[in-house]
Amino acid sequence: MVMEIGIALDVSRLAHAPQETVALARLAEERGLDLVVVTDGTAQRTTGLDPWTAAVWLAGSTSRITIGAPAGGTSPPDPTDPEAPYPKVQAKAEDSLDILAPGRIISNPAGWVVAPPDAKPEDLAGAAESDLPVVVPVHSREDVERLAALVAGRDDRAGVRRRPAAVRAHRKPGIDYDGVPASLAETVVEPGDPPYRALSSTYLRGGGPGLVLRPRTPAEVSDAIGFARRHRHLPLGIRSAGHGISGRSTNRGGLVIDLGAMNTIEVVDPARRLVRTGPAATWKQVAAALAPHGWALGSGDYGGVGVGGLATAGGIGLLSRNHGLTIDHLRSVDLVLADGRQVQASREQHPELFWAVRGAGANFGIATSFEFEVDEVGEVGWAQLALVSTDIEQSLRRYGELASAAPRDTTVFLVTGQPRDGLSTVQLFAVVDNPDPDIVVARLTPFLELGMLARQQVVMTPYAGVMGSAADVGPDGQHGFGEPNSRSAFVPTLTPEFARDAAAMLRSGAVYFFELRAMGGAIADVAPDDTAFTHRTPAFQLAAMGQNDKRLTAVWEPLRRHFDGLYLSFETDRSPQRLLDAFPAPVLERLRALKRRYDPDNLFRDNFNIDPTGDPAAVQEARA
Amino acid sequence: MTDYGHDLLFGVFATPVAQQARQVVDLAVTADRAGLDLVSFQDHPYQPSFLDTSTLLAFTAARTERIHVNANVASLPLRPPAVLARAAASLDILSGGRFALGIGAGAFWDGIAAMGGRRLSAAQGVTALGEGIEIIREIWDTDATGAVNYDGRYYSVKGARRGPRPAHDIPIWVGAYKPKMLALTGGVGDGWLPTIEYLPRGADSLPELNARIDAAAHDAGRDPAAVRRLMNFMNVQFSSAPRGLLNGPSEAWVDQIAELALGHGVSAFIIGGDDPSMTQRFGAEIAPAVRAIVERERRPAAPDRTQGEA
Repeated sequence: MVMEIGIALDVSRLAHAPQETVALARLAEERGLDLVVVTDGTAQRTTGLDPWTAAVWLAGSTSRITIGAPAGGTSPPDPTDPEAPYPKVQAKAEDSLDILAPGRIISNPAGWVVAPPDAKPEDLAGAAESDLPVVVPVHSREDVERLAALVAGRDDRAGVRRRPAAVRAHRKPGIDYDGVPASLAETVVEPGDPPYRALSSTYLRGGGPGLVLRPRTPAEVSDAIGFARRHRHLPLGIRSAGHGISGRSTNRGGLVIDLGAMNTIEVVDPARRLVRTGPAATWKQVAAALAPHGWALGSGDYGGVGVGGLATAGGIGLLSRNHGLTIDHLRSVDLVLADGRQVQASREQHPELFWAVRGAGANFGIATSFEFEVDEVGEVGWAQLALVSTDIEQSLRRYGELASAAPRDTTVFLVTGQPRDGLSTVQLFAVVDNPDPDIVVARLTPFLELGMLARQQVVMTPYAGVMGSAADVGPDGQHGFGEPNSRSAFVPTLTPEFARDAAAMLRSGAVYFFELRAMGGAIADVAPDDTAFTHRTPAFQLAAMGQNDKRLTAVWEPLRRHFDGLYLSFETDRSPQRLLDAFPAPVLERLRALKRRYDPDNLFRDNFNIDPTGDPAAVQEARA
Repeated sequence: MTDYGHDLLFGVFATPVAQQARQVVDLAVTADRAGLDLVSFQDHPYQPSFLDTSTLLAFTAARTERIHVNANVASLPLRPPAVLARAAASLDILSGGRFALGIGAGAFWDGIAAMGGRRLSAAQGVTALGEGIEIIREIWDTDATGAVNYDGRYYSVKGARRGPRPAHDIPIWVGAYKPKMLALTGGVGDGWLPTIEYLPRGADSLPELNARIDAAAHDAGRDPAAVRRLMNFMNVQFSSAPRGLLNGPSEAWVDQIAELALGHGVSAFIIGGDDPSMTQRFGAEIAPAVRAIVERERRPAAPDRTQGEA
C-alpha cells in the first residue's frame, strides 16, 4: 500500500506565527509530502485562526498538495446565535473551494489520521492501516524535513497512480472504484477528479454521476459494460454528445459511459457515398466533413446534437421531406451488447437487431460506429425568419396547410412560446433543398403570411451552414441544471381543432418552447415495418417544454385526442403508457422479444426502457 | 465642495462566477499587478452560479501580494457576526492586514430564507446590522477582559471567546441607501459603500446622502471624515466619445473621478466590468492621473491640515 503522509498545522500556531507556519506548508509541498491539514486544538480563552479561512489560505498559497480543511459542525442553523454558521452556506463554501482547488480538498476531518509528533516510521505505517492519509503535527522546518526523509524513498509503483485521499473522499457509495478495468483506468473520471465538473451535466440536465467511464475503443466499451453489469443497482447513462432529453446520459450517483472519445468521421467508399462515424461526433462535425464532397446527411435541427442518440431514435430533420430520416440512411451499425459481445448489425447480419436499433437502439447496446449512405446535396436555401402574429391559432392553422402542401424540397419547422400582450413570436426554420435562389424565395414567400416579418435571414449554403450555428461545447462542458420537462407527439394532420387547442395551451404560459416539425415526403416512402420507428405517416412532430412538469401535463393532456404516438427523443414522461405511444403494441412485442434475446437482464434502461419481462397484456390494460 | 481628505483607493468589483473561477482569480491578480488597491466580490450565497464569497476572498488574498480584499458587501443575514468576525480577523492576520469588511443588512429575502436564514423587514435588518457590528468589534477586541456577552433583539450570545485579533484596524464599510441605513453608517461605520447605479439620481444624490451620513456622525459625536465614502461603478467602459459617467475616453474618466473626489468626498472608486484590460488601464492610467489632480487641488485648499500633520 502506498501511504500518504502530511503535516498538521494548528490554528493557534497559525495565529501567532502566520508567515512562518504557512511557509511550512509550502515546504511540505516542495518536499513531496501529500497533504497539509489544519487542526483546531485551541483551548485558550482567545481563539486561534478560523480553521476554514486558514485552510483556504493554504490552498491558495500552494498549488498541488492536498489540503485538509475541517468544515465546522452541522448543527441546525440558529439565526440568533452569532457563532452558528449556516450549514447550507458552509456546504457552498466547501463546494467553492473544490472548484478553486480541484481535486485537492478533504473537508471531512474523519478523512485523515493524526499521528503523535514524535511518530516513528512504524507508527505511521500502523496509522495508515486505516487506508487514510496520516498527518504529523509539525512546528519547524526540521520537523517537515524529517517527515520528508521518510517518504523520499517511497515506492510510487509504476503504472496507474492511486488517487489521492482528497479525490477518494468524494467517492459515492456502491461503486467498486478500485475495480475499474485496467483498460479504462487511465481515462475514468471520479467525482473528486478535476475534469469531473465538465462531465457531470448534459445540455438540459444537471447531474452528479458517481463515475464516468470513458472508453476509446469497442473493446473498452465492452469492458465498461462489464463493469456496469457488476453495478446493476445503479443508474446507467450512455452519453454520445450529451444532448439527450429522453435519454438520461447523466444521473446522480450512478454510472455514465461517455463515448466522447469515439468521434471520428471517415469516408469508407466514395463511389457509394458510404461514411462511417463514431457516436460522439456531432451533426455539426458530420455536416462539415461531408460538405467538401458535396454530400449531406440529414439530422435534426441543431448541430450540437451527437450522432449516437439521434441515429438510434429516428432523426426528423430539415432535410427529411426530401431525404428521409437519418435512420433511413443507416447501412450498418457496430454494437457492443449487454453481454460484452461486439456485433455488426445490417440487413444481412442480425437483421432483427438492425431493425430494432433504428428507432429503439438505446435498449439494445452501445453503438460504437455507424455506417451511413449519404446523399448528394448541393447548396440549399437556409432561412431563419421571425414573424409576429396577433392570432397564433390562425398562424398555426395556416402553417399546417402550407408546410404540408409544400413540395418535398421544402421543410419548414415552427417554434413559438407564450404570447405576450396578445402577440406571439413565430420563428420559422426552413431548408429549401434547391440550389436556385429564385425557387428558394418562391417556396418561402407563402409562409410570410403567418405574421408580420420582424427578422429574416436567408442564405444559400451547404447543409454544413445549417448545422454550423450550434455552439461548441467548451472545456467547461455542458451547463444544464435540474430536469427538463418535455412532451412529444405525432400530429397526423394539423386540424383547426388542434390549432385552437394548441393556441390555448400556449396562452396558458405553461409552455416556453413549442416546436412543430413538418414531416411527410420521403419519410413516408419507407414502409412502417422496415424500422422500429414506425410513425411514417404523420404530418408533424410536436415538442413542448415547460418549467413545471405538473403544469405542463395539465395543459398537454387536453390535446391528446389530436395525437397518434410520440417521438421518444423529446419525451420525458416515464409512465408506462408512453412506451405504447412510442411503439405500437405489435412493435413493442417484437422489441420485447428481441430485448429478451439481446439484453435479458435489462442493462440498458436509461431511455424508454423496454422491459424484457414486461407483460404485453398489462400494458394494454394500462392503456385502456 | 466636500472632501473628507482620505487618500484615494482604486479597485475592481469582480463577479464571482463559479464556472469561470480561474478568470475571477486571474482578474484579482491582474488588479494586484496593475497597482490597484482593492478587489471586491458581491456576496449572494443563495445564487447558485456564484462562488462562496468568504472562500473566494481568502483564496484570492493568498494568490495576491499587495491588494486589499473585501466583500461588496457581505450579507449579514447569512454571515453570523461572530463567524464573520473570526474569518475576517483570520484573513487579516494571514494577509498582513489586507482585509476590509464590507457589510450590508441583506436583500433578496427569499434567497436568504432558502439558505436557512430568517426574514427580516428593512427596519429590523438595520437594527440587526447595528447589533452585528457591535458583536464583530467585541470579538476583535482582545484587550477587553472576559468573554463576549451580548443580549440584543436579534442576536444573543453568552461567553463567546474573543479573537483572533486582526493585524490592523479592519474598517467596516456599510452598503447603505435608505435613511435608517445611512444613519447607521454615519453612527458606527468606517465607510459607506454604495453602487452609483442604485442611487436614486446617480451622482446628483451624493450631497443629500452625504449630508445624512454627516448628520448621523455629528449626532454620535464623530467626525464625518471618520466615514470614508466609497463607490461602485458597474456600467463602465472606455470609448472614444464621452457618453456618460465612466463611459468615455480616459481623460473624461480622470476628470469625472477627480470631480467626485474633490466635489463629493468620494475617495474610493471600484469598477465592475470583469475586464482585464480595463483593469490594467484603470491602474496604469486613471489612478495616477486622478491622484495627481487631487493632490494638487488639496494642497492650497487644506493648508491647516497639511501643517497639522507635518
